[in-house]
Amino acid sequence: MIVVNNKEKIEWYEGMTVQDVLDKMGYVFPLITVSVNKQLVHKEDYATYEVPDNANINVFHLAHGG
Amino acid sequence: MAIKTKAGPKKIEISINGKAATVVEGTYLLNAVMDAGYNVPTLCHHKDLTPDGTCRLCLCEVEVNGKKKLVTACNYPVRDQIKVATTTDEIKKHRKNLAEMYLGRWPNVEVIQNIARLCGATDAEKYKSELTDENPKACILCGHCVRACNSFMIQDILGFAGRGIKRHLTMPFGDVDPHCVGCTSCSYVCPTGAIQITDDMNNPVDPELIRSHGMKVNAEMANLDALQNRMREVGTANIVEVMDAYDLLPVHNFKFGKHPDTHKIDSKVMKSKYFTQGAADACWLGCSMACAKAVDDFELKTGPYKGQKVVVDGPEYETAAGGSNMGGFDLDFIVEYNFYCDTYGIDTISFATTMAFVMEAFEAGIITEEYTGGKILNFGAMKETLECLHEMARGDGFGVEVGQGVRRLKEKWVKELGADPGFLQDIGMEVKGLEFSEYVSKESLAQQAGYAMAIKGPQHDEAWLIFIDMVNNQIPSFKDKAEALYYFPLFRIWFGLLGLCKIVWNDVAPADNSKYPPQEAAKIPDHVENYWKFFEGMTGIPVDEDKMLLQAERVFNLQRLMSYYLGYGTRKDDLPPLRAIGPATVEEYLSREERYDRQMKEDMGIDPEARTVEEKLSITRDYRYQQYNKVLDAAYKRRGWDENGIPTVERLKQIGIDIPEVMALLEKPEQ
Ligand code: SF4
Ligand code: SF4
Ligand code: FES
Repeated sequence: MIVVNNKEKIEWYEGMTVQDVLDKMGYVFPLITVSVNKQLVHKEDYATYEVPDNANINVFHLAHGG
Repeated sequence: MAIKTKAGPKKIEISINGKAATVVEGTYLLNAVMDAGYNVPTLCHHKDLTPDGTCRLCLCEVEVNGKKKLVTACNYPVRDQIKVATTTDEIKKHRKNLAEMYLGRWPNVEVIQNIARLCGATDAEKYKSELTDENPKACILCGHCVRACNSFMIQDILGFAGRGIKRHLTMPFGDVDPHCVGCTSCSYVCPTGAIQITDDMNNPVDPELIRSHGMKVNAEMANLDALQNRMREVGTANIVEVMDAYDLLPVHNFKFGKHPDTHKIDSKVMKSKYFTQGAADACWLGCSMACAKAVDDFELKTGPYKGQKVVVDGPEYETAAGGSNMGGFDLDFIVEYNFYCDTYGIDTISFATTMAFVMEAFEAGIITEEYTGGKILNFGAMKETLECLHEMARGDGFGVEVGQGVRRLKEKWVKELGADPGFLQDIGMEVKGLEFSEYVSKESLAQQAGYAMAIKGPQHDEAWLIFIDMVNNQIPSFKDKAEALYYFPLFRIWFGLLGLCKIVWNDVAPADNSKYPPQEAAKIPDHVENYWKFFEGMTGIPVDEDKMLLQAERVFNLQRLMSYYLGYGTRKDDLPPLRAIGPATVEEYLSREERYDRQMKEDMGIDPEARTVEEKLSITRDYRYQQYNKVLDAAYKRRGWDENGIPTVERLKQIGIDIPEVMALLEKPEQ
């Protein structure tokens, strides 16, 4: 089980990447910053960075809105 | 539901002068080489401009699959596992020769002298000729200005004419082009001072300060926007599909936050079938963001201009989302109502939100076909919606009634039709008489307050807190939310007072904004600084966060007091309809039953099992209003207002506006 933004809990599986988490959460907004257990993950690593079980993932969305 | 987001680019291992390095695919070789700590001479390269590889000073040797070749590093994107050499004997010779040629032609230009030194070129005489220009500020044909005009301003005022040694910089047809907006970007990027600014029309105290910050925005627009919000490409419409993905796009009078037909009105369709690209109807010439879009040659199907082809300014996000709110998932309809609202002088948001309310009332049987003059006004009734719009403008028929807006319709239908006032209050999306703008605020407590507390009514231009609250979960406590409801409205009011736009604050972000901790990052500190420096550059008065907040707070409190004086400035005026803070009907509860049940269990500690939907709806309503009132309490306190939402005398004193004229507003409200 991993926790996203200190709120949403999602099932963890072997080999789960940051990109998988974003897909699962439906986070399509382009202005985001991701950290896994407080470690910043760069965009180019989303598809390969594997998330450990029990991770705390933070997906920070920059405010939008007209 | 899992949605496929775009995966980031991959990484490639390369070797530079024998040392291993990792680069992101597509990185220009020059950047990779510089990042690895090697210095390569450049002339035509500029960090904020698209490279064009003309000076050939940056030549490097690249080995791909055993084959060696020379490439200009500045415009060579790394796509393979290459081996790079930055200084071979051949390269050195080549650079020295080039530098001598440049030195022969422009011996007194400082950047050329620097390059010559770097390349070991000392002989200024070797290439001396009749072309030699002794001017220390000569144009060295680097092309920075041409590219800046193009990529910062989306203009092509400057260009080169002539070939070879006759090549020179020019404006089209050699004349001063009236389309030049005087943005000074060209002058800013010119390495020699060949382009001089002769006029600072508004007499700013410190034009350099303003320019240096403005150019940062230009560079972000030129280089980051395409990867971020694509404001230049599709404008605010980029978030139609984003809002749908986050369950925030208003559908059917804000009942729902997404719809299977959203793909018919999203920015992809707007871009491919509607927007006229490259002819952005910028709000003002010279804005490098140029987010406003226009549709050319749109043939109208209804109304007084039926059959004519017109230009339509938009649609913006709000107008498109107004479409989904009315159930109109058809861009032809959206562009048409957009055009006629503009033409008639009607706000698309108020129109769409009122119409959505009318549709729900129609479906609930409060008004009937008879009452609407024969119009069947279910959600999605696009033809009938346009009829209402035309009637509204002509001043006849049911459209006139729609034109009264949600607040008056509620009162009228209760009085004249005996409608249930509670139901109309719950679903009528207005506060202070103004219709809600087009975002679903149900799951963001902070945004509910951001909307309902806004002085002019539920517009989000005081605060848009949905992501930081609901998605990021960054402001979990009431105190945190109150702080956001203090800072953001004040910041937005402050730059609004200066007449500045908000889009360049948060619709593009510096690449390294994530260096700030989240609470600070949400403010986009570097961009807030841009606004401060603009103020300072214009007035000569430095400003920081405290000063800004004080200036804004004075105005904000004055506005609140005026609103109070006019009868719109107390707690009762800051209360949103149920629809804005949670499910208002059984249908709506059931549409997200799992979510609401879970919240009941986790947040309220109540077991939803064995309860009827009606019971659950009523429990949820009570809980959400309680929560809302707590946010209101916290926000009032942070703002220095009393429990009823009225600014306290103490606060007015603190911020220095306890002058008699202001105090008088407190005394005699016109209720
Ligand atoms: S001032 Fe701006 S618009 Fe005019 S030529 Fe220079 S870059 Fe282009
Ligand atoms: S005017 Fe300046 S920026 Fe433009 S080509 Fe000449 S030297 Fe380069
Ligand atoms: S810097 Fe001029 S060609 Fe690369």
